[in-house]
This record gives sequence, C-alpha cells and structure tokens, in this order.
Amino acid sequence: MALLELLANGLVFSSIIVLASIGLSLVYSIADFANFAHGDTMAVGAYAALLAFGVIGGVGPTVLALPVGFFLSLAVGGAVAALVAVITHVLVYEPLEVDSIGLLITSIGVAFVYRAIIQLRFGSNPVEFGIPLQRPIDALVPLGIRITVHEIAIVASAAILVVGLHLLLQYTDLGRKMRATADNPSLARVAGIRTRRIEWWTWIIGAGLAGVGGGFLGLYNQLSPRMGFDILLVVFAAVILGGIGSVYGAMAGGLLIGVINQLMPAISNVAVALPLVPNVGPAYADTVAFLIMVAVLLVRPSGIAGGETT
Amino acid sequence: MSLRERYGGMTRAEQGVSLFVCGFTALLVVALLTGGLTPSYTLYLAGLTGMYVLLSLGLNAQWGYTGLINFSVAAFFGLGAYGAALVTASNSPLAIPGGVLVGLVLAVVGSAVVATAIAIPTLRLRADYLAIASLGLAEVVRQIVLNQRDWTNGSGGLRGIPDVFAGWPVLGPLPGELPGLQFAEYAVGIPGLFRIRVLGFTLGEPFWTDLLNFVAVVVFVAAVYLLLRRVHRSPWGRVLRTIRSDEELASALGKDTYAFKLQSFVLGSVVMALGGVFYAYLVAYVDPGDLEPINTFYVWIAVILGGSGSNRGAMFGGFVVVAIREGTRFASDILPARLPVDVPVLVDVYGAIVSDFGSTRLLIVGLLIVLVMRLRPEGVLPPQRELLWPSALEETDE
Amino acid sequence: MSDALTTGANREKDDPVLEVEGLRKRFGGLVATDDASFAVERGEITALIGPNGAGKSTIFNLVSGFYEPDAGTVRVDGTDVTGKQPHEIADEGLVRTFQTPRKLEGMTVREAMLVGAGDQPGESFLKLFTDAAGVAAAERANVEAAHEMLERFEIGHLATQPATDLSGGQMKLVELARAMLAEPELLLLDEPVAGVNPTLANTLSDHIARLNDDGVTVCLIEHDMEFVMNLADPVIVLDRGSVLVEGSPDAVRADDRVIDAYLGGESA
Repeated sequence: MALLELLANGLVFSSIIVLASIGLSLVYSIADFANFAHGDTMAVGAYAALLAFGVIGGVGPTVLALPVGFFLSLAVGGAVAALVAVITHVLVYEPLEVDSIGLLITSIGVAFVYRAIIQLRFGSNPVEFGIPLQRPIDALVPLGIRITVHEIAIVASAAILVVGLHLLLQYTDLGRKMRATADNPSLARVAGIRTRRIEWWTWIIGAGLAGVGGGFLGLYNQLSPRMGFDILLVVFAAVILGGIGSVYGAMAGGLLIGVINQLMPAISNVAVALPLVPNVGPAYADTVAFLIMVAVLLVRPSGIAGGETT
Repeated sequence: MSLRERYGGMTRAEQGVSLFVCGFTALLVVALLTGGLTPSYTLYLAGLTGMYVLLSLGLNAQWGYTGLINFSVAAFFGLGAYGAALVTASNSPLAIPGGVLVGLVLAVVGSAVVATAIAIPTLRLRADYLAIASLGLAEVVRQIVLNQRDWTNGSGGLRGIPDVFAGWPVLGPLPGELPGLQFAEYAVGIPGLFRIRVLGFTLGEPFWTDLLNFVAVVVFVAAVYLLLRRVHRSPWGRVLRTIRSDEELASALGKDTYAFKLQSFVLGSVVMALGGVFYAYLVAYVDPGDLEPINTFYVWIAVILGGSGSNRGAMFGGFVVVAIREGTRFASDILPARLPVDVPVLVDVYGAIVSDFGSTRLLIVGLLIVLVMRLRPEGVLPPQRELLWPSALEETDE
Repeated sequence: MSDALTTGANREKDDPVLEVEGLRKRFGGLVATDDASFAVERGEITALIGPNGAGKSTIFNLVSGFYEPDAGTVRVDGTDVTGKQPHEIADEGLVRTFQTPRKLEGMTVREAMLVGAGDQPGESFLKLFTDAAGVAAAERANVEAAHEMLERFEIGHLATQPATDLSGGQMKLVELARAMLAEPELLLLDEPVAGVNPTLANTLSDHIARLNDDGVTVCLIEHDMEFVMNLADPVIVLDRGSVLVEGSPDAVRADDRVIDAYLGGESA
C-alpha cells in the first residue's frame, strides 16, 4: 500500500518543516513580527553547509550512510544561519523605528538580499551535496515503506534537536525566560528579564534550527537559492495551524502540514474520482497547504493549540 | 503662478522629485533624439511606467490608505493580464469570444471575486495574517496558471494579443491612415569638440499604433488617479485612514471597519487588474513568469519609497521602478564584463554582479526596501497634511 | 437617595440607558468579570471604580463590544446588544473613548474630529459619485459642527494643527469633542484624566460636568479618586470582577468594605 510509504515520506518532510516552524514561531512571539526572511535563512544555512561540506565532508566514519563530516557541516550551516540572523537583527531590525508591520515589510527586503547574494555566489541553478543516493532499506520494502537511510537520519536528527529544545525551554533558566518573554514581553522586562539578551538567543536558536533544516532540505531535494522562499508558505501554514507564538503548536502544525503535503498524490487519486475537480496533481501540494491555512483562519484563527502561548 | 514660484513653494522632497522626473524625462528625450532609444522603445518605457503607476496606485489604495498588506500584487496583475489575454490571444485555449471590453470586464470581475474570497477569512484578523495569506494566494494563482495548461497554455504563455484598438471603428484603422513622418538625420555639435548625429528615423504605422496605446494608458492612468484622489479625500477615505492608524477607534465611532477594509481591498485589487490588462496589450504576450513574487515587491518599493498613503508618491514610485528595471537592463548592455582595474576581491564581486543582472536587481530591490524602512519609512512624498472634500471648506475659514 | 448605599448595584433605576446583567468573562484560568450587574441612569454621571484588577477595563470592553462575554446581557436604551460588534453598539448610541488612543497620522485636528460624525453620506463609496452635492453639503455641515465643537472645548485654535502634535491633555480634549460629534446617548470614558496634569484634569472635569448639564449621560472609569468623587454620582465599586457596592461618593468613601477591597487589592 502506497499510503504507508507516503506517510513515512511525510514524516521526513515534516521533520524539515518542524525545524523551520520552531524558529518562525519563536521569532514571531519574541521579536514580535512575521519574519518573511525565515525561508531564506534556511537557504543561507543550506549553502553554508554546502561550503563546509566541501572542506570537511570526508571527515570521520560513516553514520547512517552519511559521513560524520556531513553532520558537522550541518552544524556549521546552522551556526552561520544563526550568525547571519543575529547580525541582521543588530544591523537592520534593532535600529528601526517602525511597528511590527514595518518589520514584516523590512524582512522581505532582507530575504531578497540573502537570496541575491546566494545567487550571485552560487548561481541560480540547483546544486547537490554530491552524496551518493541511497536505495530504500530492503528490510522495509516488503512492508510497502520505501525509505532510505538518509531519510532516517533526517528524522532522527530532527527528533534529537526537538527534544533538546524541549529540555532547554522547560529545564533551563534561559528557556524559562524565553517562555516568559514570549508570553508577555513588557511584563518580562518589568520582572528584570533582560529581553535584549533573550532576543539574541531567540534569533540564534530559531535561525540555527532553520539553517540545519535547510541543510536537510538540500539533502532531501536539492539546494537552490529559492528553496527557502518556496517552502516558506508551508512553514507559515504550519505555524498558523499550530497557533502563532506556540513552539509546541508549531511542532504539531509542522508535523501535520508535512504529512498532508506528501499525501497529495494519494489525495489527488481520490479527487480524480470526484466530478468538477480538475486534475489536482502533486503540483498543487502548496495550494492544499494554503487552503488548509485559510480554513484554519476561518474556523479557528488561534490555531489547533488554541491560543495557549509557548 | 509662474514656474519659479511654484518650484519655490515646494518642499525639498517635492523639488527633488520634480528634478528627478524632469531629468529622467530629459534623458529619455536625448536618448531618443540621438538614436540611443528607438521611438517604439521609448513609448514602451512610457507605457510600462503607466502600468507600474496603476499597480502602485492600486497597492496604495490598500496599504497606503487602510494599512492592508497585500503580497499578491502579482496575482491580481496576472488575473488582469490573463483575463485580457484569454479573450484576445491568438493561442488562447479557452478562446472566449469577445474583444477588449470583454477581457476588461473579465479582469475586473475576476479580480474582485478573488479579492473578496481572500479578504473574508483574513480581514477580521490581525494585519499580518493577510500578509501571509496573500503571499500564499499569489503562489496558488501562479501554480494554477502554470499547471492548468488546458486553460492557460501553461508555461508556454499566451501570444498574439492584438492592439488595443484593433477592429474598432475609426481608432482601429487610424494608425494605417496616418502619414509616415520622415525625420532627416542632422549632425550637430561644436566644431572641433564633438559631433553627434540626431534624428534620422521614420515614424510609420507601428509608431502610430504604439502612440495610440500610449494615449490609451495615459487616459486610463489619469482617470484612475482622479478617481482615487476623489475617494481618498472623501469621508470614505477618511475612515480608511483612521483604520490604518487605530482600527479600534474607528469601530468605537460606529464605523463598520470590516466592510471598509473589504471595499478598500477590492478597489485596490481591481486597479491592479487594470494594470495587468494594460500590460497584456503593451507587450502582446503574457506568461507565468509575470506572476513571480518579485513583481509584487517592485510595486511595494514604488509605494513605500513614494510615500505610503500618497497618490503622488505612488506615481513617482512607478517611475523609479521602471528606472530600476530598465536601468539595470541598460547597464548590463553597456558595462564592461571585466573591471578595468585589477583589485583581487573586487574583480570577482564585479564580475558576479555584471554577469547576473537578474540577481543584482533582486539585491537592489531588497536593499531599497531595507534602506527606505530604515531611513525614511514615511517615503519621499508623504501624503499631504490635510485631506478634505474640496468644496466643504468654501464657506468656512479658507 | 444619594446618601443611600446598596450592597451590590442599585438596580432600581427609573430610566436606565445601560443595563448590564450577569456579565462574565474569563481569560484562560483568570476570571476577569464575574457575574457583574449594574445599571446607568439617564442624565447622571456614573463612575466605576475599584482596585487594580477589579475588572473595570474588561467591563468597558464587554459593554462596548470589544470583548465577547461568556455569559450575561448588555442592553443599551432597552435594546439587547450582547455580542454585537463595536460599531453596531456605537450605532445604538453608546460611544466610548480610549485610555491611550493612537495618534491619527497625517491628519489635522479637525480631520480627526470629522471621523466622529455619524451617518455621513460621504462614507458610502457609491454616493461619492452618485450624490456629490449631498456629500459636499453634509461635509460642509460636519466641518462647521467640528469647528463649533472645538470652540466649545476651547481648543478652536488647534483646528488646523497636525493631530500628532498635541499634548496629552489636548488629545484628551479632542477625543471628548470627537465623541460628542457622534451625538451619543451614553458616553463611556476610559480614564479621561490618566496622565493629565491637575490643572487640565480640572478643566476636563468642568467640561464633563457641562456636557452632563446639557443632558449627556456619562459612565467613566478613573483611578484619580479626587476627580471621581467631585464629579460622579453614583459611584459603583467593583472588586474581583463583580459589583461590591453602589452609592454616593460620601457613602462609598465611608464604607469599610470598599476600604478593605482597596487594601486587599494593594497587597495582592
């Protein structure tokens, strides 16, 4: 049954979306604007990982059919994305004297600058890490699941990062302060939490995870300068589905949107049987994410997590 | 009022803008006279400016008046362009019968319907939801145009869109009936210093056709501008401006803010679609590339640079965008591929920028957005201090 | 009648403009308004007071339609407006002001005033084209009314000033004047003298008293006790989301329960 394969595939795609959604949601609640440069931050991370992979790619033994150097490269990608985000925050967002809508518009400009620089350096055409593609794991094929070791690596890494973030948010001083700031920035400031430092960490964590997600997206598909912008809509849909400002909601939303996105071929098989629905092919995966988002906005704008923050 | 007094009465920003527009126009005229630009290309540039002015006026009616963030300018533009093209293009799969007017009606109705559909779920929510949803809408419209080949011919685009007035009585055959004008070539200059050749072209039927198209867009832009100016200074526009600053205040004073926002959004979207209709006739060809998000943000640059909420600003912004778009194209033709001086890193950067002007344009658009928001968020020509229904003041103090 | 103090609100009023019954609102686990009931008599200045967190602002937002109540009803002039949109409630004659309104960018004071006038033909998009003469006539009348209203509040000289260049006190005056252009049955004032110097607070107090003499019913919330006690009668005291007592300023001031509520509120 192809459905199982699609679900498995959906989980892989979901992992990437979840990594991206967390950062978008964190920035949304703590820096207080919809960051349209978040997708291109993913691309920055992916290309930084590509550069690093060229240098340290062969280092170390192989884990899950990927050299340890690849994971190190992803870490570099995440670090570069975090650095770029913090620099942008200090140079661009912080000195601005505009409201959150002004910041939103500015972030579009930032997104274009990131992408233009990537295009100027790497060209507009897709590139790859050059890691040999894997065949689906033989043992799982009889079950109808065609999933590669690489994809297991993506899911496992994302799971580790999400658990790490959870521990950070729940059990560290920084995490508690982040949650308090997300909840009520002015109250947090009154309570003596230095929100400026919290904002920095928000950018570092959010952009770092996005950068790693971008690297995985590059492994899963390809790298292209538009990779992040193209996926941004799906990430926004996940964040809105989960409820803006809720990190755990974003995780749930990312999981759901990712799976639905990959289920499109199956859905379209059903849709073909219906009258009046013109050949809704996989090309419309984004459209479906969009329609889900609009439906959520109509029915329950606070998201499935229901307005509970962080 | 003499020209000098008029100039003296302007703010510094207004003076700067006037000088920029005059200088730019003068440059075009010189380029035209010296053969740098052909007469047809000059008219094309003027038409393109008119189209961007329409798009900017449309976005200004949403963002500038009411504070609605619309990131699907390209989609409404595309609805207009495809609406016009599907009726008149020679390879239109749908081959809807009718002429220019049917296409126009299709574009207006289509954009109004789509605008309403996206506005209903989002306009009751915070402003950023509309931003996100409209970015999604733009992508969905682009996907549909790209994938529904049986409706839109997909990535092949629609070709063979006739002239606006083709088949019309009087105006249709007019360009063919006008005499060809021949301009002899002259050489001018200062002896011993320089000599250039000027003129030396013939204005025939194609030119008259283009000129007629251009006149059509000027009439169009003027009509839209006057209409928008009227509604902007009306009590209706005043409610929109109140919503932009403080929506709660507007509703506490008994204004149905949702209805006003809806009207403002639909109005702006229809104006954008008109820009699209005109574009289809201007270039006689549309394809899904016209719906790329970058086209939305060209228009955003025009509006925020010109001055959000200012119709004059939006017109100026339209000018600037054409200058960026066509200016970079022009620069890519004349700039040498290699930096003449050999500075290590600079050579590479220069090479990358010159060899890929698409990306350079993207960079310029991005930097401009950031710089305007940083240095002059109110834009170059912010709206006038007071907007009142003109005849309302006659009997009071002014 | 005015020395009397009632436990809970005095619901025995002859001609109430506003009647609130069993109003309840919770945010997450926090109950902000809990079974609040009271009435505002026509022609009086009624004040709602109470310690921080007593639920004054929440009640204002519930009454004016900015929050939707979980339970209870709100009637304006006998019409049930529970759960209606703010603009619909404003159409019923209830006009509110805000503690800190945002500045209307790019407008002059008189422009900002004109937004207040109700039933403007020029607010219909179609009429701008089909009935230009009617629009112009109404606008002319409204401009005149705005000037007159500004004169009544002694700020006529500000008419053509940018609305963004006003002092805090002037903004409060403009807000009040604008609300009056809407010809309200009931004026809801949200902390009318918050952040205003004592001299201006007195001026505002005089203006509100004068409006009341002209027949405008006022309901206000305010922290400045001196202002409240000089201006309002009756005073309704809220505590933890519901009405504690209602009575004349003197009676309220002398009541132990009120003092306890304030002390309890301070220490919480």
